[in-house]
Amino acid sequence: MPASPRDFALNPAAYGLPTRDDLVKLRIWDIHYHGFFRGGIAAHEENLFYVERMGVERMLSLDIAGSPEDPLGNTIAPERKRELREYLVKHADRVSGLIPIDPGQPLESCRKMEEWIAHGPCVGIKYFGGNPLGIVCSHPNNDAIIRLAGEMKALVYIHAWLQVGGEPRRPGGKNAPGEATPHDVAQLAARFPQVNFICGHSGGDWELGVRYVRPFENVYIEFSGSDPHSGQVDFTVAEVGVDRLIWGGHGPSRCYSTELAKVLDADLTFEQQFAIFGGNLRRLATPIFRDKGIQL
Amino acid sequence: MTTDRKPETALNRRNFVQTLLLPAALPVAAALADSAVIAAAPLAGSSPDIIDCNVHLFDWPFRKLKYARTSALAAKLRRHRITRAWAGNFEAVLHTQFDAANRRLADECRTQADNLFVPIGTVNPAGPDWEEDLRRCHEQYRMPGLRLYPAYHGYGLEHPEFVKLVAEATKRGLVVQIVLRMEDERCHHPALVIGPVDVGPLVAVLRAQPRAKVQLINAGGRLLGNRVTALVRETSVTFDIAAVEGNGGLDQLMQGKNYSYTGAIPVERLVFGSHAPFFPCESALLKLFESPLQLAQLEKLMHANAASIIG
Repeated sequence: MPASPRDFALNPAAYGLPTRDDLVKLRIWDIHYHGFFRGGIAAHEENLFYVERMGVERMLSLDIAGSPEDPLGNTIAPERKRELREYLVKHADRVSGLIPIDPGQPLESCRKMEEWIAHGPCVGIKYFGGNPLGIVCSHPNNDAIIRLAGEMKALVYIHAWLQVGGEPRRPGGKNAPGEATPHDVAQLAARFPQVNFICGHSGGDWELGVRYVRPFENVYIEFSGSDPHSGQVDFTVAEVGVDRLIWGGHGPSRCYSTELAKVLDADLTFEQQFAIFGGNLRRLATPIFRDKGIQL
Repeated sequence: MTTDRKPETALNRRNFVQTLLLPAALPVAAALADSAVIAAAPLAGSSPDIIDCNVHLFDWPFRKLKYARTSALAAKLRRHRITRAWAGNFEAVLHTQFDAANRRLADECRTQADNLFVPIGTVNPAGPDWEEDLRRCHEQYRMPGLRLYPAYHGYGLEHPEFVKLVAEATKRGLVVQIVLRMEDERCHHPALVIGPVDVGPLVAVLRAQPRAKVQLINAGGRLLGNRVTALVRETSVTFDIAAVEGNGGLDQLMQGKNYSYTGAIPVERLVFGSHAPFFPCESALLKLFESPLQLAQLEKLMHANAASIIG
């Protein structure tokens, strides 16, 4: 067992894979980091071994002060919230936070955004794959959240899936209450053309999800959290261009190998990989990072 | 339970975290530039070849795959140092003329790619006269194993004919690969209604066949449920790594800390499987490096364990 995450018993290059140094050069930003999920700071720090080993430059955690059962974090003790804020400030060079909001509670969500984004360290909002009241992101009551996110230049990440099921059986027919489909993301994108959205998981079924959001230039596609399908990234680049893809790692529940492989499988130049692994997200995040004085 | 993790590991990891957080005040780019210098590639002199226990040839019924052509897949695997690949036939998933699918597979493996591919035939023990299909796989097509798709073919592992099949395969020295899943059920074609494979009955079946060579393919933790410990302790079943998930998934699995598994699987019971060309083979390959494995562990995973099943 190596003491350092940078020790490897074999050279990945001998197996046609990028070395850690190669990955570092790609400046990987992970928009879908679950290191703080449930376990908080301690679990995140334990997971940093793998973050470092795989050369990931920045993590954007989607679980800051909220959980699927309690998106607004009402049950989280103030002391824990304070620790989390301090941690994000202290490690702003490496970790950024997105806060879960609840489309069923728009006013309270906006209050949380004021607290954690306008007057706190966080840089965006996240819609979970469902919420207690079962309200999807495209519900008009939710518009106040998007309007405020636009004003704040916040990143807007929306979990989107098309779970097959229901009667009749169809894609999206088994979604959880409040779980968005890529069609919901497309509806929002049409209502708010000046706001950029990140459609999570490529909509679950990427062959359908990409086509739902394809017409909307203000929708970026993140594609973590699903099995690695050969051809997925080739297809997505062909349909929407390389500049609308954003990489997520989905660790620690998914492995970096799964998510890196989706991109490495595709026929891309270094510059295109660089854009997908972090360049596109840095471009999208520039306004709010600049406002917060965080170096890109 | 076998584990190669030394007790000081956790301490090392904590030390690592403290070290990692020290340069927090430095600009990221500078810190990473330093790391690139420090992290020069290591490494041992030899690079073992890989046996891939989980590939398919021909066309997946629901999508044209990038490496569907045998020659393209062979070139791709060889680029990644995969020098043997146990190949099933995608046609066997939904076709019902298994002998035709097996014959085509055997022909392809014999005539293409310089023996890279080892043909693994398919029979359906719930179907008619599967014994003859099995006999042809072994005697006529010289296949060293069988690949079963219980979810797609509609039988459980308690089915009496499945039990008979395991006995017959064991008598002939054939490996039996049981595919627990081909793709995420959430993304199935809506016309497919396929339930999960319950591996529970397998423990009793294999207790009665201790010499059986059974391998579970695409055996993600959730599909194994709470049977991991029983399968490890009471059978000699092996597991391919294509569906192992989680940061450092293999390392965590060997330690019994992988969140989606209910137990540990020692390295001796794991084999390399990529699920190519459905999955990019890079996914399984990278798992070998994402976990901090020792060379001895890697050699077992990459080829030794598989070679002990099919020499």
